[in-house]
Amino acid sequence: MDSARADLSIIVTKDLGHQYGRRRGISNVSVEISDGQIYGFLGPNGAGKTTTIRILLGFLKPQNGSASIFGKDCWSESRAIKQGIGYVAGDVRLYPWLTMRRGLKLLQNLRIEDLSEAGLSLCERFNLDPDLPVRKMSRGNRQKVALSLALAHKPKLIILDEPTSGLDPVMQLTLMDILRDAVKQGSTVLFSSHSLSEVETLCSHVLMIRQGEIVVDENLIALQAKSPRVACLKLDIGHNIDCTDLPESVKSIQRQQSTIEMLIEGPAQDFLRWAARQPLADVSISPPSLDRLFRDYYLEDELT
Amino acid sequence: MDLMRSLLLKIYWETRWPVLLFSLGLAIVMGLLTALLPRVLGDIHLVFEKLPFVKPLITALLGVDPGKQLSAAMSQAFLWVHPTVLSLVWAHEVMYCTRLPASEIDRGTVDFLLGLPVSRWQLFIAETIGWIISGLIIITSGFLGHWLVEQIVKTKMQPSWNATIYVMLNLIAVYFAVGAFAFLVSAFSDRRNRAIGIVFAVLLFSFLINFLAQFWNPMNGLNPPEQKSPLAVLRRSADQNSSSENGSPSSTAQDAADSKDVASKKWSIAALSVMHYYRPASVIQTGKFPAVDVSILLAIGFVCWISAGVYFSRRSICTV
Repeated sequence: MDSARADLSIIVTKDLGHQYGRRRGISNVSVEISDGQIYGFLGPNGAGKTTTIRILLGFLKPQNGSASIFGKDCWSESRAIKQGIGYVAGDVRLYPWLTMRRGLKLLQNLRIEDLSEAGLSLCERFNLDPDLPVRKMSRGNRQKVALSLALAHKPKLIILDEPTSGLDPVMQLTLMDILRDAVKQGSTVLFSSHSLSEVETLCSHVLMIRQGEIVVDENLIALQAKSPRVACLKLDIGHNIDCTDLPESVKSIQRQQSTIEMLIEGPAQDFLRWAARQPLADVSISPPSLDRLFRDYYLEDELT
Repeated sequence: MDLMRSLLLKIYWETRWPVLLFSLGLAIVMGLLTALLPRVLGDIHLVFEKLPFVKPLITALLGVDPGKQLSAAMSQAFLWVHPTVLSLVWAHEVMYCTRLPASEIDRGTVDFLLGLPVSRWQLFIAETIGWIISGLIIITSGFLGHWLVEQIVKTKMQPSWNATIYVMLNLIAVYFAVGAFAFLVSAFSDRRNRAIGIVFAVLLFSFLINFLAQFWNPMNGLNPPEQKSPLAVLRRSADQNSSSENGSPSSTAQDAADSKDVASKKWSIAALSVMHYYRPASVIQTGKFPAVDVSILLAIGFVCWISAGVYFSRRSICTV
């Protein structure tokens, strides 16, 4: 690992591993998360997202490898690390007696700063009653309380484990706006999700975990460039395409009467040149989508 | 300090109602027992004469031979070992001491708790402070219930302030040992019901072993010579009945045989019971602080508490 890069990274893990007895956890997870970006942490259920996050927060002791945040060891210096972290668990469970106001009072003493203004402002954005106890709240509102308490102290690192699962679409957009604002103010976000569209909308970098191992760790734009597109060709009646000089970027062909669907990977220039020579009545190409790329990974995961 | 105050505030929000209810409950129970026990125990000699097996049962419960007639002061000893009183104290602490981490993991709130910028030791110490304070409140409430009724009914059950304080300190030491054990079980557990079940099973076993050991001579070796075993008491009362009928003294020889039997044994299985180290009747009789018993209970509690803290601070915690 490049030490200079590691110094700039907020989170560094190296060959991280944890197993639950015979059950699969994670193995050899090595990632570096840089300052001031939103990282999408993708993977199907049971892939190891939550295990990785729990190790980062010091809930689980890694059996192999190491993990550090802000240059501090995630297990032995967990308390100091958590001063700079805002965390929301996947399945939010809060104390029935907790209200937003009580939560802020509790956190104020722990974080030794006045959080009431920022906390109540988040309450307003989430349309949340600060005096309503959790026992009287819906699942979505509990999620909002957890998010507000996690973000009130403007943490340097925000770790969210599937935070939108209980939120309605409007609140999902509000959360995304809040996270973008936080990044503008210097925060870094690790956003775990299994929703591709969410990650595509919000994140600048994508980590994908499959069967406990990181399989994708790339910038979103670079990843989109690699993502397959679907080209839909409509032939002139009575004509056919010349398949002898198909460009390498075409990965598969499906034909239905006069319509042909082609899956293209990589740059589209060769394909466009080839298409110009064909007797086509119409052509359309979809924008690059992560959807198909990840579906391939997911499918592979299910098959194995 | 801010940090600890914050954690204690959280504990207060969570436990205030149970502590209040247990305190009131114990005050009422001890008040009622104070009013009722002298009436019930006042005529106990008649029961002893008619039903000789009752005396060994009371001896087993008190840990000492109550004699022919229970004095008012000895009635107070009965008050402090009454199963209802002990059940209330233990129920509270078993519920309290299995909160962290077993209940937090069980409820899923441990994610929120461990996400806060506090170390596990700080959480554990805050829980311990809350546990000790709530225990003191509950035991003191019980005493106040007893004292208030005593002032109204004038039963003369209160022996002396010193003996009362010694008994309460002994009970607090039991409270510490039992609670620390509950913390230890909780530290190893992810399910609160399981932790509560284990602690109650051990407590029941502990109570029974102390009780039954009094009736089983092979277990009875550690009893101090001055504390006659209930079996011996039973035998002696039977002998006394027969000798009074025959007119020949025979209990002295039997007592000597008992003393020899007791002195020859070095170990008693009753020593494994936490109740073996809680003998209010003996404290009230002698008026001496049970330093050895309290030290043993505190040592047990301390070892369990430290082990619980160390294991909790080092274990992986997962709600999935």
